Amino acid sequence: MRVAICEDSALFREGMTRLLAEAGYQVVTAVDDAEKLLASVAANPPDVAILDIRLPPTHTDEGLRAALTLRRRHPEVGVLVLSQYVRVSYAVELLEGGVEGIGYLLKDRVSDLAEFAAAIRRVGSGGSALDPVVVERLVSRHSQPDDPLSRLTGRERDVLRLMAEGRTNLAISERLAIAERTVEKHCTSIFGKLGLTAGPHDHRRVLAVLRYLNA
Amino acid sequence: MSRRPNISTSMLAAVAAAAWLSIVELPDLWRSPVWGMGLLVGMSFIYAGVVAWRGHPHNRVGPLMVALGVAWIPQQFKFALGEQHGALDLLDLGVGLWAGVACHLFLAFPTGRLDGLPARIVVGIAYAESLCIPGASVFAELWPEEPWHTIVTFVDRTSWGLIIAEGVAVIGLAAVRWLEGTAAQRRAVTPVVAASMVATMAFMADRVLNVCDIVALGFPADSLFGAFVGVPIAYLGSMMRGRIDRGRVADLVVRLRGRRQRDGLESALAATLKDPTLKVAYWMADQGRYVDADGNPVTLPPPQGSGRVMTRVDQGEARLAVLLHDAALLEQPLLVDAACAAAALALENERLTADLRARVRQLAASRARMLQWGEAERRRIERDLHDGVQQRLLSVAMTLGLAEATTDPARAGALVGEAKYAVLGALDDLRAVSHGIHPPVLTERGLPGAVKELAAVAPVPVECVIEMAGPLPQAVESAAYYIVNEGLANVTKHAGASRAWVRLARGTGRFVVEIGDDGRGGADPDLGSGLEGLNHRAEANGGRLTLVSPPGRGTVIMVELPCE
Repeated sequence: MRVAICEDSALFREGMTRLLAEAGYQVVTAVDDAEKLLASVAANPPDVAILDIRLPPTHTDEGLRAALTLRRRHPEVGVLVLSQYVRVSYAVELLEGGVEGIGYLLKDRVSDLAEFAAAIRRVGSGGSALDPVVVERLVSRHSQPDDPLSRLTGRERDVLRLMAEGRTNLAISERLAIAERTVEKHCTSIFGKLGLTAGPHDHRRVLAVLRYLNA
Repeated sequence: MSRRPNISTSMLAAVAAAAWLSIVELPDLWRSPVWGMGLLVGMSFIYAGVVAWRGHPHNRVGPLMVALGVAWIPQQFKFALGEQHGALDLLDLGVGLWAGVACHLFLAFPTGRLDGLPARIVVGIAYAESLCIPGASVFAELWPEEPWHTIVTFVDRTSWGLIIAEGVAVIGLAAVRWLEGTAAQRRAVTPVVAASMVATMAFMADRVLNVCDIVALGFPADSLFGAFVGVPIAYLGSMMRGRIDRGRVADLVVRLRGRRQRDGLESALAATLKDPTLKVAYWMADQGRYVDADGNPVTLPPPQGSGRVMTRVDQGEARLAVLLHDAALLEQPLLVDAACAAAALALENERLTADLRARVRQLAASRARMLQWGEAERRRIERDLHDGVQQRLLSVAMTLGLAEATTDPARAGALVGEAKYAVLGALDDLRAVSHGIHPPVLTERGLPGAVKELAAVAPVPVECVIEMAGPLPQAVESAAYYIVNEGLANVTKHAGASRAWVRLARGTGRFVVEIGDDGRGGADPDLGSGLEGLNHRAEANGGRLTLVSPPGRGTVIMVELPCE
C-alpha cells in the first residue's frame, strides 16, 4: 500500500516513515506542508495520505482544510488525519462528505503498530477509522436516562462503539473475542433499538450510527 | 415675566387707594379704633384673597377670602353708621354672613375643598346661623306681635349656645385635619390654621360675653378684629416663606461653587431642601444602575410605603440622577424642581465622577481577581506538571532502565510495553495541561470553530448563529470562548433544556455573545456560582452581562464585550 505523509515535525515525520516501512507500507512522499502534499498527491496519487492538522504557515487548521480539499479533488485517495487533540466538530466536518476512505485519529495511536496499520489499511481500502475518544464523546452526549441509547446492553454498547470507529464485524468479533455471528445479532438488535434502517452488512451503517450519535 | 408683577402692583395700588380714600374722604366716619380695625380686616382679606386667587386660580381659598372681604362690608357699614341709622335697616340681614364665610374658609383651607360630610354639615349650619341669628333681630322689630316676638327672642337668647357649639366643631375639625397632615403639610399650614383657631375662639368669646351682657368683662371688638386680621396676615406670611425657601436655591448655586468635599453636593441639596436624610444616586447608563458619589451601587426604595420618595433629575432626554428624599418634600415640588435645575450641572459633573469611581472600583476588583486567578492558575499548572508528566516520565526512565538491565528478552519486552503506556499517559496529562492554558481548538479554528466544538459535545442540541467576519482580538476571543463554555455548562447542569443556542455577533465597538435555552428559567445571579463566574469574566474584560430568565420560559444570557 502506498502512503504519503505530511507532518511538520521532523521527529514525528521520520519516526512515522520508519514505522510505516517497518509495517510494510511504501512511503511515497514525506513532506512538511499542505501545499507540497497536494502537489505530490496530484502528481503521484497514493492509496492513503496521512496528515497532521497543525501545519505551516499558520499552524492552525491547514491540515484539516487540506484533508477536505483532498477529499474533494481525489475521492479515490484515502485521507487519515492525525492530531495531538481530537475534536468532535472536526470529525463531523470530515465525515460530511461520506465515510468512505476517511480516518481521524489521535497521534498517540501510532504507538500500537498493529492497530495503526489496520486503520491505515481500512482507510486505504475505502473504509473509515474514527478515534475512540471521538466516539466516546459522541456516545456520552446520549447520557440522559430517556435516551434510546440507554436501552442498549453493555455488550451492545461495546459493539456500537467499535462499529462507529469503522471496524468490520470480523474485527469487532476479534476485538471482543466473540463469534462474528454474535456481532451480527448485536448489530441487528442495536439498529432495532435505535430505529435505524441501514442493513447490518452495509458499508453505510457507520454513517447511520454516526448520524444517530451526532443528532 | 412682566405681567404678573404689574397686575400685583396695580392691585396693591388699588387697595392702597381705597384705604387712602376711606381715610381722606370719610373723615367723619373715623370714629374709633374699632372702625379702623374693621377696615383693616376687610382690606386684608380682599388683598390676601386676590393674591391667593391669582397664585392658585383653581383653589377656592382665594375666592373665599375675597367673599369674606365682601361679606365684611355690611358689618363695616354698621360700625361706620353706628347709632346714626334708625331702628330698622335691611343691611342687618346680611350683617353676620361673614361669619359663615369665615367658617367655610377655615375648614376649606388649604385645598379649598370641604372634605367629608361633617365639614359640609358644619359649614351649612354656619351659613344658616349667620343668616338667621341677625335676621331674627330684624324680624323681631318687623313683627313685634306674638308669636313672632317670643320665637325671635328665644332664638336671639339661645344663639350664643349654637355659636359655641359651631365654633367648637370648627376648631375640632380643623385640628383633626391638621393632625392628619404630614410634617411638611403641617409646616405649610400651621400659621393659617393657628390664626383661624384664634379668630374662631375670639369670636366665640365675643358672642358669649355679648349675650351674657357681662360688660365688666367686655371683650373689646378691636381684639376680635385683630384676631381676624391675623388670618390673611398668616396666609401672606406663609407665601413669603415659600418665596424665601425658593431664595435658598440661589444660596445653593453659591454654595455649589465653593463645594470642596466629595459629599458637598448632597449636603448642599439636603440643606437647601431642609431634608437631612436626602441622598443623591447617579445613573450609570452602561451599567443600568444607580450608584452613590463613591461609585457604590445604590438600592432604590420601593415605590410605596417606605416614606422615601425618588425624584428623577433629567437633562433633556438623558437620565442624570435621582434624589432619594422624605415624602414630605413632595409638598414643595416647585422648590425641588428649582433646586434640581440649579444643581443639574453639578449633578452631571458629579455623575461623571461617580461613574469614574465606579469604573475604577470595578477595575481594581477585577484586576485583583485576575491577578489572583493568574497566580492560582500558574500554581495549578506547576502542580499538574509536577504530579503528572514529570512523575510519569521518571517512571518511563526507570522502566526502560530495568529493560536495559534485564537479560530476559520476554521481560524486556513487557517492560518496554509498560514504558510505552506511561508515555501515553504523560501525553494525556500534557494535553490536559495545555488545554487548561489555552484551548487548542481556539488556536486551530478561531472562535467560530471552537464554539462549534463546544456545541458538538454539549448533551443538548445547540444551534450556532455566528454573525462575524474577520478575526477578533485574542483577548476577546478567549473571553468569548470561556463565556460560551461556562454558559453551555450551566445549560447542561441547571436548565433542563431540550435545545439551546449560541449567537456570536460583532457590532460597532462591541462583541455580543448570547447563550439561550428553552429550559426552566428562573436563574438567579446571586445564587449560582456559574453565573457569578460569568459575570466576573465579563467584568474583567470590561463587558456587561444581562440575564433574562423568567421562570418556565428559558434563560438568555447576553454578554457584551468591548471590541474595536
